Amino acid sequence: MPEDQHPVDILQGTLNMLILQVLVQGPANGYEIARSIEQRSQDLLQVEHGSLYPALRRLETKGFIKAQWRVSPTNRRARYYALTPAGRKQVTLEHSRWRTLVQAITRVMRPAGA
Amino acid sequence: MSRPVPPSDPLGEELDHHLAQLREERLARGDTPEEAERLARAKLGNRTTIHESVFELQPFGGAATRYFRFAARTLFRDKSVYFVAVGILALGMAMSMAMFSLTDAVLLRPLPFPKQNDLFVIWKADPLAGSHIEELAYPELGDLQQNIRSFAHAAVMPTSLYGYARVLQLPGAEPVQIESTPVSHDYFRVLGVTPALGRDFTAGDEHPGAAPVVILSDCVWRTHLGADPKIVGRMIRLNGSGHTVIGVLPPGAEFPRGAGLWIPLGVDERIVTRRGMTFLQAIARVKPGTAPEPISGEVKALFHRLAQEHPDVYSRSQQAVVTPLTEYWVGSARLHLWILLAASLLLLLASNISAANLLLSRTLSRRTEIATRLAIGAGRNQILAQLAAEGALVALLASGAGLVLAEGLIRLLVRWAPPDIPRLASASVDWDSFGFAAALAALAALACTVIPGWAATRLPLESAIREGSGRSSHSRHGNRTRNLFILAQAAVTVVLLAMAALLGTSYYALLTADTGFANRDAVSLNLQMRGPGTLSGVDPQARKAFYTRLLDRLRAAPGVSSAAAVLLRPLEGNIGWDVSYEFESEAGSRESRVLPKANYEVVTPGYFKTVGTPLLEGRDFTDHDTEETEPVVIISEPLADRIRATGHNPIGHRLRLGIGPARWSTVVGITAPARYRNVTQPGADLFVPCRQAAPPTNYVVIRGSRPVQELVSLVRRTLAEFDPSQAAGRVATLGELLDANTARHGFNMIVLTCFGICAAILAATGIYSVVAGAMAARRREIAIRIALGAERSCLVRELVARPLAFSLLGQLLGILCVVSLGAGVSDLLYGVKVTNPRLLTAVVALLFLLSFAAAWRPAWTVAGSDPKSSLRAD
Repeated sequence: MPEDQHPVDILQGTLNMLILQVLVQGPANGYEIARSIEQRSQDLLQVEHGSLYPALRRLETKGFIKAQWRVSPTNRRARYYALTPAGRKQVTLEHSRWRTLVQAITRVMRPAGA
Repeated sequence: MSRPVPPSDPLGEELDHHLAQLREERLARGDTPEEAERLARAKLGNRTTIHESVFELQPFGGAATRYFRFAARTLFRDKSVYFVAVGILALGMAMSMAMFSLTDAVLLRPLPFPKQNDLFVIWKADPLAGSHIEELAYPELGDLQQNIRSFAHAAVMPTSLYGYARVLQLPGAEPVQIESTPVSHDYFRVLGVTPALGRDFTAGDEHPGAAPVVILSDCVWRTHLGADPKIVGRMIRLNGSGHTVIGVLPPGAEFPRGAGLWIPLGVDERIVTRRGMTFLQAIARVKPGTAPEPISGEVKALFHRLAQEHPDVYSRSQQAVVTPLTEYWVGSARLHLWILLAASLLLLLASNISAANLLLSRTLSRRTEIATRLAIGAGRNQILAQLAAEGALVALLASGAGLVLAEGLIRLLVRWAPPDIPRLASASVDWDSFGFAAALAALAALACTVIPGWAATRLPLESAIREGSGRSSHSRHGNRTRNLFILAQAAVTVVLLAMAALLGTSYYALLTADTGFANRDAVSLNLQMRGPGTLSGVDPQARKAFYTRLLDRLRAAPGVSSAAAVLLRPLEGNIGWDVSYEFESEAGSRESRVLPKANYEVVTPGYFKTVGTPLLEGRDFTDHDTEETEPVVIISEPLADRIRATGHNPIGHRLRLGIGPARWSTVVGITAPARYRNVTQPGADLFVPCRQAAPPTNYVVIRGSRPVQELVSLVRRTLAEFDPSQAAGRVATLGELLDANTARHGFNMIVLTCFGICAAILAATGIYSVVAGAMAARRREIAIRIALGAERSCLVRELVARPLAFSLLGQLLGILCVVSLGAGVSDLLYGVKVTNPRLLTAVVALLFLLSFAAAWRPAWTVAGSDPKSSLRAD
């Protein structure tokens, strides 16, 4: 974790996007998704792991991901989530939306007179 | 990679797995197992919350389960409100369902006959002679068959069941009386019934001199003949002569009800040819697709023409009466059941209003809770769904309880109801009525939870929380609705109470009516002498001698105080022997066909003493009134009054009867009026001594200090000794006959009284809950006013005035309904008018007092409470 930065909560509405992005690399179970988000943000983004599950179910209902029971590397039964074709399209859409949002917010947040 | 089966709790297992991985991660970092466990759990978060938020997402199933679980918790928390509401709804539903099911069984469900609406029963009436039922004679069947083209089949049968019973003698068994009906041969074709065994009657079975045949009911075949499959073609002994069994009917097809045997009618020359031998009614099936109205017109025209063609036999004022069989079958039970059904619907309405009121007040008082939940982020839809779940749960519980209760009530009512209502025993819970009652309950419950809840979610949050149960315009609106509920409920309750009071008064009048039969303990038995032949087959002289010997023996037996015989015992049915009569003083002043009629009875000496009809003047018949002596007659008071009106002394006056030889009979006695047909129907009676009359005495009446059972077996023993081929039947005491005659009135009265009491309690609870609710809402304001020194009585007056005014208004509306709709029930009332002002005033006064007490109680308590504690409670 970088020294000068404190961990933050995930911005409302971005969890779905993060999950989809993680799954681009391949199927993962709930724990792996949570850990992946934390690690890739260098532990700046703190996920309450439990909050993943409603989001996973929502994505499942929307048809962006699908789930399958498999045996995990630790030899336990685990539910693995994978992107569907619709999910892949959604990821690109989220990317462009996110970029627009960041640009807009950055402009607004520029210190006055700079 | 193998694919394991999905587990039963997928989310649970998924979370387990997740937790395990978190734990391992911590352990790998060197935490103690306890520490690892704690941190892992913290990382994952509250599992219940996860479960709940996942459930929330699921379409209907999960969310609904959650709402219902929460609703159940709410219901249990506020047991007093919700379970009272459930109970009230269930009670109303059960009562209305039970009554509807009975009505349905009796009035609406088809008869056991195909195309029942094509069946009609035909007789005549003579308005000028004041007679409702003029019977037909056999030749009129031919007239109907030849002239009415739209009849597919027509037949004739006697108007009454009694008097045609036959004695069935089987080897090795006591002779038994079996009700039977002589019918013309097309009878079962009219009804559309085909025998289950054997064949129907044919024209060949019905002519004078035809070989005697009989068709049995399923019940007789099973009870007395052991359900013998080879019964067809066998001979059985009826009234001492052999009859060939030609058929057995299917079960449930007995018509008239209670009949066990059918025999051809037209096997006696006299019956077939004489137009004066009237004891029949016709029953006809019209060709399919014939409209009923023209039939009645055609038959009326035919009988009118017949009266002109045969002026010697028929009165010119006679009219045909054509009644659909369905109406005839149900008879007077129809009106009774409709009244009960209407009353039960009113009660259903009252219970719905009451439950709605309770739920409404509950939801209104939860506005603070609703506002708080909105403030901490609950969605409006979530809250509405929650309230709807509560309403639905209340309706669901009420429907379940109502159904169980209704089933029980139906069983109770069937057992308790008068036995003469046809098809009652076949009643069971009707699913349409259940659907109706459940839908109404659901509507009431949902409307009273969701609508006020919706209103509450639209309140400004902050003010709603602050004033929660407060004084906003919405709460005033709620109170207005509740006051209107009070009004509606008061109206319904007054209608029910007034009906109950009217029927109660009427029933009391019936019970205390002077029927003219004081000896309720006198037992009567049918002991018609049977011989071969349709009419009587017993020599009149032999019959009279037999009766004289039998009565002498009975009177001499220990413990018997009196015994007598009569032609037709009191209250045996609607139809009796009515004869026309003419006083000597007005002889010849009227045309013979329009002479007045009176009930005709043939009696033995001692009859009046046995049944307890007082002899007001003159003497009873004696053994010296014989064939050789002067003809005498005893008349009842109404007839004596008519003689007095002509300025003559009734005793010693002479009159002529339209039966038997045209002889003048001298009045020797006057009895108190007695009600031979119906307890509600006063009439005039003529009594003739048995030895001077042609018609037989058919019933033995006996009274004594011994128990009824012993008297009955005494008669049976004596009978068996004198003539073992005869049998006694239809045993009943006068008390039983009187009770059976008023049973429907009593039944209605009791049911309506229950309804009335339920409705009154509901109305009182309604008012109580409204006043108490208003009290709670204005607690702070009232406390401040008490603190400022407001008079307690002043406060109470202000608090109860409005609900009471609404209640009173509702009561007046109800009275208006009763008075304007009362004409419909006046047929059911005896000795009391619908508009009886004293009774209606009493009903209003009672309900008003009840309402006043219900409103006053909470108001008085609140107005007297300590203002400090009320204010501090906030």
